[in-house]
Amino acid sequence: MNKKIWIVLGVIALVIFWGVGARNSMATSDQEVKASWANVQSAYQRRADLIPNLVKTVQGVANFEKSTLTAVIEARASATQMKLDAKDLSPENMQKYQAAQSSLGGALSRLMVVAENYPQLKATENFSELQAQLEGTENRIKEERDRFNDSVKGYNSLIVTFPNSLIASFSGFTEKGFFQAEAGSEKAPEVNFDEKK
Amino acid sequence: MGNSLKLIIGFLLLSSTLWGQDIPAKPNGYLLDQAGLLQANEAQQLEQKLRGYADSTSTQFAIVLVPTTGDTDPYDYAMAIGKSWGVGQKDKNNGVVILVSMDNRKIRIVTGRGIEDVLPDAICKRIINRILKPYFKRGDYYNGLDAATTEMMQRASGQFQSDGSDEPSGIPVFVIVFLVIVLINIIRAIKNKGGGSGPGSRGGGMFFPPIFLGGGGYDRGGSSGGGGFDFGGFGGGDFGGGGAGGDF
Repeated sequence: MNKKIWIVLGVIALVIFWGVGARNSMATSDQEVKASWANVQSAYQRRADLIPNLVKTVQGVANFEKSTLTAVIEARASATQMKLDAKDLSPENMQKYQAAQSSLGGALSRLMVVAENYPQLKATENFSELQAQLEGTENRIKEERDRFNDSVKGYNSLIVTFPNSLIASFSGFTEKGFFQAEAGSEKAPEVNFDEKK
Repeated sequence: MGNSLKLIIGFLLLSSTLWGQDIPAKPNGYLLDQAGLLQANEAQQLEQKLRGYADSTSTQFAIVLVPTTGDTDPYDYAMAIGKSWGVGQKDKNNGVVILVSMDNRKIRIVTGRGIEDVLPDAICKRIINRILKPYFKRGDYYNGLDAATTEMMQRASGQFQSDGSDEPSGIPVFVIVFLVIVLINIIRAIKNKGGGSGPGSRGGGMFFPPIFLGGGGYDRGGSSGGGGFDFGGFGGGDFGGGGAGGDF
């Protein structure tokens, strides 16, 4: 009799210990995702910050094609408007965020393609350095996105697998979205400014 | 729990395959000239310059000259080198990789996360355009690399210091700590001898903390030999995508 009660109590205690441990590791993983999300955002912000400078430089060139410039300016405006808090990284939100950012990426790469037609622009050191900066931010974005995806993968597989998923649903940990490889509909930045001749 | 372990293993496997993209094995020094662009004495001078700078500032430059990067983009190639070799210090991420690929005549600089502020992308581009390119076009690889590293070192100076920074330039702290530990051990050994067989009479007191081994280049016993003996090793620095590239 007594023995049975003790066994039951012992099992309950074990389950509680396990649950607390699982919950804690989820919380840790959640924090990692948030931290890497902050890095993703600052990489994108870095790109957005470069654009005014780029626009100014390009505008200085006589009769530069206006439409590509305005496309960049508009895409930047909508991309910077789209703020996504680390709390709301649901797959749907992520998709919207990515769409806004990649339309800016697309507009930018079109601008750089057009810029190829203006030798007087390409020859300036200012432009060449801006190009390098832009390339660097694209690389940073890629890097931070990869890291973010890694951390989300770790987090997601932690919370969706069976016994853990119970704890996750009790404590409100939900699945997070990650960056997809550029979808076909979004015109992926084909020219990745990457030392293409 | 088991999942996170699996993930870690998976990640390690993945990263090793990523880095496995035929980048050269970690060399025993800061310069790797597989393309044979430098004379022996030039290579030695450059190596010594990089080593001296790494020892005094902890900032590590790796110069890698290869005949080709294969199918790999020079950026990815240089990043893979930086990350897998661990150029720069782990906590400072102050490494720089300068990659030169001969078949497509590409220069690629990648900067560690911690050094992007002093060597921003635009500056790397400028160094490529103004220094490396003109020298390389003349086939003067040594002077190009020499001038470029001098420029970068000047910019990075003052940003980082080696771990013995609070010493006015004399003996680094860890050497002193090491000596103190040795001294304590000797005293203890003597005491033990006097008191017969104390607890842990042999070896038990010998305490050589392994931390010092990872500390990067403390055994610069002068410029003897020139062999890779006093290469402190790369420190495990991380890279976030900074830098610039160009053709020559």
